[in-house]
Amino acid sequence: MRVYHPYHIWQRVKAAAFLPFYLFTFLLFSCVDTQEYENTPQGNFEALWKIIDEHYCFLDYKHQAYGLDWQQVYNIYNVRARGDLSSYQLFEVLTGMLSELRDGHVNLYTSFDNGRYWKWHEDYPANFSDTLQRRYLGTDYRLASGMQYRILDDNIGYLYVGSFANTIGESTLDEIIKYFAFCNGMIIDIRGNGGGNLTSAETLAARFCQEKTLTGYIQHKTGKGHNDFSEMEPQYMEPSSRFRWQKPVAVLTNREVFSAANDFVMIMKCFPLVKTVGDQTGGGSGLPFTSTLPNGWTVRFSACPTYDHNRQQVEFGIAPDYEVSLTDDDFRQGKDTLIEFARKLLVE
Amino acid sequence: MRSKILAIVTLLALSASAQEGTRSVHLLGVGNTNILDTYLSQEKYKGDGFTYLYIREGATPEKRWNNVIEHELDFSTTEDRSKTTTELEAGYNLYWGRYRQWRLLDDHLRLQAGGLINGTLGIIYHTSSANNPVQARVALNLMPSGIATYDFRLWKQHFTARYELNVPLLGVMFSPNYGQSYYEIFSLGNYDHNVVPTTFVSAPTFRQQLTLDWQTGDRIAIRIGYLGNYQQAAVNNLKQHVYANRFLIGIVVKR
Repeated sequence: MRVYHPYHIWQRVKAAAFLPFYLFTFLLFSCVDTQEYENTPQGNFEALWKIIDEHYCFLDYKHQAYGLDWQQVYNIYNVRARGDLSSYQLFEVLTGMLSELRDGHVNLYTSFDNGRYWKWHEDYPANFSDTLQRRYLGTDYRLASGMQYRILDDNIGYLYVGSFANTIGESTLDEIIKYFAFCNGMIIDIRGNGGGNLTSAETLAARFCQEKTLTGYIQHKTGKGHNDFSEMEPQYMEPSSRFRWQKPVAVLTNREVFSAANDFVMIMKCFPLVKTVGDQTGGGSGLPFTSTLPNGWTVRFSACPTYDHNRQQVEFGIAPDYEVSLTDDDFRQGKDTLIEFARKLLVE
Repeated sequence: MRSKILAIVTLLALSASAQEGTRSVHLLGVGNTNILDTYLSQEKYKGDGFTYLYIREGATPEKRWNNVIEHELDFSTTEDRSKTTTELEAGYNLYWGRYRQWRLLDDHLRLQAGGLINGTLGIIYHTSSANNPVQARVALNLMPSGIATYDFRLWKQHFTARYELNVPLLGVMFSPNYGQSYYEIFSLGNYDHNVVPTTFVSAPTFRQQLTLDWQTGDRIAIRIGYLGNYQQAAVNNLKQHVYANRFLIGIVVKR
């Protein structure tokens, strides 16, 4: 049997006793943690202001575009967020602060209301009427993957894509192109399309791409600074390996074309056979992220900016090749000015 | 060819580990989980967590070196402090360790020191987000590790107390960059420091277990204990922690 000297045992016990102490000290100083704001009106205001300050991707651009000063916004709204505000009053203050960003991708979600900025389309004419559209589509139109389509009487294919929220199937696109195969041109009407999945927009756009094409650039934030961005990475569109459309196309737009639909227009404008007709799009070129406030409200904001193929911002929309508005005369005659213009353009 | 060699090695490892002189432990754990992931939210999420832990370790007294393998499955459902939004966490951790052992105090005390390789696969899902709601957790860590096991008798019963501590050293982990979307990483294939080398400073992940076995038979024991798994990382200007505290109960089977 091995005999232990009391001194050696004491040394080992001492070492063993100090080990937890060293470990506790190390643990204490190596916690990965963050500062949480208090769940008070002021705390929620501070948390929201900081989330935008550190994560929102257009602060510098909007400072140049219309003089947005986020620090100045803090000074103004900080005063309004003080005191014993009700939830509704706080919501009003915070939504007002977010409206300074003029961004449709910025929302504040609560159980009683969704804070939003919709002036990008509310302040402009709709240039779209579903009553008029029904005169063109009729009731026996085809409907697949959320898209409505038919051949108009002058042999122009009309495709209405009201949203990119649905997944667009490749087989559906094959069927649509086959159906339109003998048409002289195609109208893609995306008026009122507020976006959805980028991949749906890209799947559709790839059917009009004839060769690998530079369609834009993308960046993301790499840190908390307003100007901490990665390099601009080019985005290329590859032609679809399935049926492709190789005749003229007119894309109809209005101010409600936003987010993924805005991206669709940005991509389509890179193809030589495509022209856009209507009003400027609504924009929304930042990929959104979300975060939460101490009181549980969720905030959505633009986090990753995208640019067109000339490295230009499209956050405030894309101008059409042909600016056309719905006229009262045409409306009275049951005609959609934009569709009629596009039909003539495609025939010419 | 490489996959065949890998399969043969795996089979050999499994058959070797199933031989006599091993101890298999099946444990169920329940407790609390604390999550912070600043990519998803600035808020901390707290709630209930469940764990299944399987341990297989060498139990041959005369061997100097022992292998220990642990499989840990975790699932947690957590809420923010306002109880409005939810984050779900699921993860799998594999620990493969090799230890040098020393027997002291007439073989009552067994000290083991060595290192282990930890592989982590998991997700955190923020249920209120429509955009970028998921954070993937993939990591590989090298962790210095120690185990102390003490056998004793009390009230004519045989008990074994065991403490295991795993501390961080080096590793590598996946992380999106600060404001980088998963769309950009996986749909566009844009890489930006998404595979990040880590150290005990940037990823101070700790894990400890304190358990007590009550020998109810020659080969069977009942084990109760505590598992603390404190996974942390601060990379790409993002902060993440998943702290799991579990009360464990299960059985030990000696072959």
